[in-house]
Amino acid sequence: MEDESPQTTPDAPQEETGSAASTAQGVIRRALDRASGSYRAFGTLIALGLIWLFFSLKSEYFFTTENIFNIFLQASNIGIIAAGLTVVLIAAEIDLSIGSLQALSGSVAAVVIIQHGQPIWLGILAGLGATVFAGFISGILTWKLKIVSFISTLAMLGIAQGVAFLLTNGTAIAGFGDTYGLIGTYSFRGFPAAAMIAIVVFVAIHLLLTQTKLGLQIFAVGGNSEAAEFAGIKAGRVKLVTLIISGLTGGIGGLILSSRLDAGNGLFGANDLLAAVAGVVIGGTSLFGGVGSVVGTAIGVVMIASINDGLILLNIPDFWQQIVIGCIIIAAMAVDRLTKAARLSIL
Amino acid sequence: MTPVSPPNETGRQSVLEARGISMSYGAVRALSNVDLSLYPGEVLGLVGDNGAGKTTLVKCLSGVHRPDSGEILVDGTVRDSLNAEQMRSLGVETVYQNLSLVDTLDVMQNFFLNRELLYRNPVARALGLLNKRQMYRATTERLRELELAVEARRSIAAVSGGQRQMIAVARAISWGNHIVMLDEPAAALGVRQSLQVLTFIRSMAERGVAVLFISHNMQHVLQVTDRIVVLRRGEKVGDLKTADASAQQIVTLITGSDLVVAGKDTKV
Ligand SMILES: Nc1ncnc2c1ncn2[C@@H]1O[C@H](COP(=O)(O)OP(=O)(O)OP(=O)(O)O)[C@@H](O)[C@H]1O
Ligand SMILES: [Mg+2]
Repeated sequence: MEDESPQTTPDAPQEETGSAASTAQGVIRRALDRASGSYRAFGTLIALGLIWLFFSLKSEYFFTTENIFNIFLQASNIGIIAAGLTVVLIAAEIDLSIGSLQALSGSVAAVVIIQHGQPIWLGILAGLGATVFAGFISGILTWKLKIVSFISTLAMLGIAQGVAFLLTNGTAIAGFGDTYGLIGTYSFRGFPAAAMIAIVVFVAIHLLLTQTKLGLQIFAVGGNSEAAEFAGIKAGRVKLVTLIISGLTGGIGGLILSSRLDAGNGLFGANDLLAAVAGVVIGGTSLFGGVGSVVGTAIGVVMIASINDGLILLNIPDFWQQIVIGCIIIAAMAVDRLTKAARLSIL
Repeated sequence: MTPVSPPNETGRQSVLEARGISMSYGAVRALSNVDLSLYPGEVLGLVGDNGAGKTTLVKCLSGVHRPDSGEILVDGTVRDSLNAEQMRSLGVETVYQNLSLVDTLDVMQNFFLNRELLYRNPVARALGLLNKRQMYRATTERLRELELAVEARRSIAAVSGGQRQMIAVARAISWGNHIVMLDEPAAALGVRQSLQVLTFIRSMAERGVAVLFISHNMQHVLQVTDRIVVLRRGEKVGDLKTADASAQQIVTLITGSDLVVAGKDTKV
């Protein structure tokens, strides 16, 4: 069925019309259409370049391989959960639980591996299983009970963290051992394994979004769920899948974090939601659905990690980070508004 | 309940049939006990005032709404409680009033929405990998045939209202090789494009496709249909051959009273 090309209808009036696509205006339009997506990512990239330039001028240590790799390491956790969040946002839903899901998977892994002495792979599987299940529950609530994901995942935020605290008795279960520790600390010629995992996650999600039928359905459902439903797409099911994906990425993020901190606890990663949202928004993904890319998110997250890193190098107090990031979110939104207006006036 | 409907007097088997369909939106009764059959190669006009229940009936037939009571038959077989995807797989294509396209996607993506071309290779197919090049070619080809001066990768948000409408119609016509339902397909269209749509409708019927056509334009309805069904306040009040019908007669059925136009007594 899917391979059939649409059949042609005969009897179309054959009169030729002046095609707008052949006019100069048409050419400009097409170029803008094509570039609009990559423009946005390109703009973010330039902003990142400027930030790097600024910190390089202020601190000679900033632009060393070691520090840049360190930025990637810092960005990898938040990047992974932000990638999952991007998928959910494109489907016009949100996942507020991604931070706590990190705490959950790390705690589950700690209980399985440290407390029960089970093999590492089992701990990893259990950790990921727990967060995928959590995403599944949020998704089912959204799909079947029509509870908006803002609420279902807000509830999950609390539940996941509560369960993590219960499992760990409110303390940190520490001592994974060296092998598990490699996930978060191993590096190949200075390039951290965690960043490699993040890159794999980003490439996989990028391909999912741009090359597959499911990806297109995610964009369609986020853009206009009614039209998608009319075309036979099960919007609720697609949204469920996106929440499962962010459950999975939350789990992966938590495992990396627990490996790096050598412990599982209800607090580890629980505060990362804000940074992840910031990275996604700076990267150009719409909070209203239907528009977005993980390429943008990757740049956005690296930007945030760079600012954090640079401010630390310059010995600027912690709280400034939050203020600067807040300002950058506002700037990104403002630029979006202005360029959109400019684009429309050209068209 | 008979699983298979008998062919009608003329011996033809209906491809799509509604029997005693009723549906309410909460307290609003949108359809009461409506029967309707659609035959292959036939253009059926569905007319009625605003709020008469036409769109609701189409949504029941396309699997978007579930009627409160009544049966829907496709090719003579009772097909109750099928969803939109299942109805589409039975060959029922629909253009919904104003609502068929996703703004944030481009023309090509809308054109192939949920009918995407995948690569034939089984692994690629299992992964759902899109064959974008082939989709692009098919869409460009189709746009050229329709004389639509838009680029296949252009965002739908950036095409005109009439062009959107044409793209929605083109999509239904392209995929529909069995049953096509068009809810006011010409509503936003210019004169030439309206005529083009009417031409498409006739040529589809000649290919043996059953077409259900909703319009408020009496001239279009009389011009293109073989039969006309009239709804008034959710009830079917007329089912007549277009050849035997006059515009006045239909207007009378639609409004439920003899019409008085502009103060002049034009009782028929
Ligand atoms: N989603 C809805 N919720 C509640 N009531 C609805 C809804 N959709 C339609 N109705 C009501 O059902 C009745 C039938 O509406 P419907 O859209 O089927 O009419 P229609 O014949 O298509 O009208 P039009 O010519 O204006 O398109 C109307 O009274 C309308 O107000
Ligand atoms: Mg209607």
